Amino acid sequence: MLGFILQRLWQAAVVVLAMSALVFCGVYAVGNPIDVLISPDATQDIRAAVIAQYGLDLPLWQQYFGFLGRVLEGDFGRSFVYNMPVSELILSRLPATLELTLAAVLFASLVGIPIGMYAGYRPHSQVSRAIMALSILGFSVPTFWFGLMLIMLFAVQCGCMPAGGRGDTVSLFGVDFSFLTADGLSHMILPALNLALFKFSLMIRLARAGTRELMLSDTVKFARAAGISEFTILSRHVLRLISIPLVTVFGLELGSTLAFAVVTETIFSWPGLGKLIIDSITSLDRPVMVAYLMLVAMLFIVINLVVDLTYALLDPRLRKGRA
Amino acid sequence: MTAETTAPLLEVSNLRTWFPSGKGEVKAVDGVSFSLAPGEVLGLVGESGSGKSITGFSIIGLIDEPGRIVEGSIRLEGRELIGLAPHELRAIRGKTISMVFQDPMMTLNPVLSIGTQIKLALEAHERISAAEARERAIKALAQVRITEPERKIDFFPHQFSGGMRQRVAIAIALLHRPKLIICDEPTTALDVSIQAEILAEMKELVAELGTALIWISHDLATVSSIADRVAVMRFGKIVEIGPALGVLTRPQHDYTKALLDALPSRAKPGELLLRGSGIADAAPPHRKNATSDLPPLGSPYLVIDAAVKRFEKPAGLFRNLAIRSGIAQPQTVVRAVDGVSITLKRGEVLGLVGESGSGKSTLGRMAAGITVPTSGTVHLAGKPVMSNGRNPRKVTTRIQTIFQDPFASLNSRMRVGDIVAEGPLAHKLVSRAEAPAYVGQWLSAVGLDPSFANRFPHQFSGGQRQRIAIARALAMQPDVVVCDEPVASLDVSIQAQIINLLIRLRSELDLSLIFISHDLSVVRHLCDRVAIMYRGRIVEEGGAATIYDNPQHDYTKRLLAAVPVLPTAA
Repeated sequence: MLGFILQRLWQAAVVVLAMSALVFCGVYAVGNPIDVLISPDATQDIRAAVIAQYGLDLPLWQQYFGFLGRVLEGDFGRSFVYNMPVSELILSRLPATLELTLAAVLFASLVGIPIGMYAGYRPHSQVSRAIMALSILGFSVPTFWFGLMLIMLFAVQCGCMPAGGRGDTVSLFGVDFSFLTADGLSHMILPALNLALFKFSLMIRLARAGTRELMLSDTVKFARAAGISEFTILSRHVLRLISIPLVTVFGLELGSTLAFAVVTETIFSWPGLGKLIIDSITSLDRPVMVAYLMLVAMLFIVINLVVDLTYALLDPRLRKGRA
Repeated sequence: MTAETTAPLLEVSNLRTWFPSGKGEVKAVDGVSFSLAPGEVLGLVGESGSGKSITGFSIIGLIDEPGRIVEGSIRLEGRELIGLAPHELRAIRGKTISMVFQDPMMTLNPVLSIGTQIKLALEAHERISAAEARERAIKALAQVRITEPERKIDFFPHQFSGGMRQRVAIAIALLHRPKLIICDEPTTALDVSIQAEILAEMKELVAELGTALIWISHDLATVSSIADRVAVMRFGKIVEIGPALGVLTRPQHDYTKALLDALPSRAKPGELLLRGSGIADAAPPHRKNATSDLPPLGSPYLVIDAAVKRFEKPAGLFRNLAIRSGIAQPQTVVRAVDGVSITLKRGEVLGLVGESGSGKSTLGRMAAGITVPTSGTVHLAGKPVMSNGRNPRKVTTRIQTIFQDPFASLNSRMRVGDIVAEGPLAHKLVSRAEAPAYVGQWLSAVGLDPSFANRFPHQFSGGQRQRIAIARALAMQPDVVVCDEPVASLDVSIQAQIINLLIRLRSELDLSLIFISHDLSVVRHLCDRVAIMYRGRIVEEGGAATIYDNPQHDYTKRLLAAVPVLPTAA
């Protein structure tokens, strides 16, 4: 198992390195940040000084290796726009996104999977049909529209929920979290719901398909023939067997939500990473973009590693080859 | 037995279980009545679709939607089971009636340990502490003769062999000392020697615990070795029921007689089976490639020399490089075939017999040029079957293969005519214009209507599909056909038809056959020479009669002794 983890970490390092090169070149091609950084009427001398200050006069490869060298020392550079270290900037925004996505993905799984399993267990009942209709709606409704509807309904019409922002936060281990205060929680519910909708529908469909197939299997028949109750069959046999595809999707969705919660964060003006990256793209804030995209690559690698380790935990047949 | 003196344990009368379908009701079980005394073993025999399994599922109350019991009564110790509420039925299942299924691979949950699965089955009917459950589970495993039960209890199903898994399933079925166990083809998926062990153990356990048994099977011989009484089912009805010996030695009903006549073990080797041919088959088309250049019948034809097939563990990037440059050796995981030399004479039928994992299929695939040997050679009439080089491929069309599963081996998206014509067209054995007539001739040669060429495989039964597969192989005009378990998945009467077809085509076309099978009676019937395979090697080889009547190797003796034998009329 240790060998497997080491091998994956080594792969991760290669992927992050490749990612940094790709991103660096890509961002370089997007545009010249100098035009954004200094006012158009600045003198030629100031312009040259600023270019030299950021090292933008060097050839691309020198800039890249200089950047790599600084990254190894833990320095991702300073944001052009905020004029503060990028690592600090990202870390200040990460908790907000993290708690929002975790809330959304956990809600989608904890509610979606049982509902989906019920729909798979009784595929022909009226309730199941309603559940499936709901999930199709969840797939097809655009996120931004659903978000706006939520705001209109709960914030504007009935006024029981705040429309945006993060609310009160509590500092825990030096990081600010909203989910520990009542006000913070109430701020979180609508954006989390909005973010969860698609994943919720996905989990329902996956759980339903898996359950429906398994209910006809010999495993379930044999368990029934032993007199095991339907609830035990669902909770002990079926849930374990359908959990592998569920964990796969859970991981993928967690990663993509963490990285790209942009729409929801914008609508609910949630001060997370999504807003930061959109802002830095429009202002050509190169260091932020590069560091952010490397972070995203790293996140996906870590999540995939955890998913793979979970497979081995869930399915004993996968343990042998990796021991 | 004692059926007359004691009150019956189970009384089934006029049971009808129907399944609604697009074309009206499918009467899977249509008026079945029988009774079962405590401790009695009833064999329920029939071909697929006869309703024998549905009868079993009806008794235990596990008919899948939309099927339903429309009529009849099932009384267990006088208590009517039909119409009971789900929770009342659940209280009976596993406690008073339990069930063992065909494929232990499918029935045990692969992600739960054996101990957990036994614990769940215990908790279904008893309040029990974790420690007590574990102790009971260990006892249950010991009872079905699993060695080291204390250690094995934490194993997962994939760590057991098929026979061990079936033992675990039986242990679960026995947990609450039920009065009746329904066994649905419990040994069909197992090798003969394992089957013999399980049969013997089951007999002992049943006698010891006084449990009644309903043994559902398509195999008359296994049923005869365990059952007190036998019921023969066809089209959802019991056509004949009586003491096992009586039914099997002096069958009254025509269908029972037909079933018995279809068994190769009851016929003289090499002769057409009595009930096998219902269709007058047409003669195969004339062969285009002249047979004049072929060696005479009886001379060595297909020569396999020192064939070895190892399956290696996939290596990583660096290890692969090391292996390429000769620094490291590949890690062998399985030696499927371990140095086999054997010669097939022209016109001969060579039987390859062995249990699962013996390497017989791998050897057959190497002979047919499908699998590349790790080392060793295969020559047909002096010429290699595979080309040399990095990516060897088959270079002859004279060897063709018929596979076991006719549902998997035919492309379901292609019309039958295209399936049969594909090879001959690719190798220019026929022109596109001649192809339809050519296909038609082969279809009628295997006993199918030539007009079937326009249909798709799913429109045919298992036996018909196997005929299509045979037509596809023979349309390539081979001299050698490798048949890999061609009748293993077929019912006895269909099996008899295919055996007859093979016997007839072999003599008409002067074919040489390699016939791979685990079924010793079929091999005895069809083959001139037999090679017994065990763990990748041939342990014994010789004329069929010699091997069967006078086996030399211990393994051969064990194998032959394990085959259940039908009682014959004195």
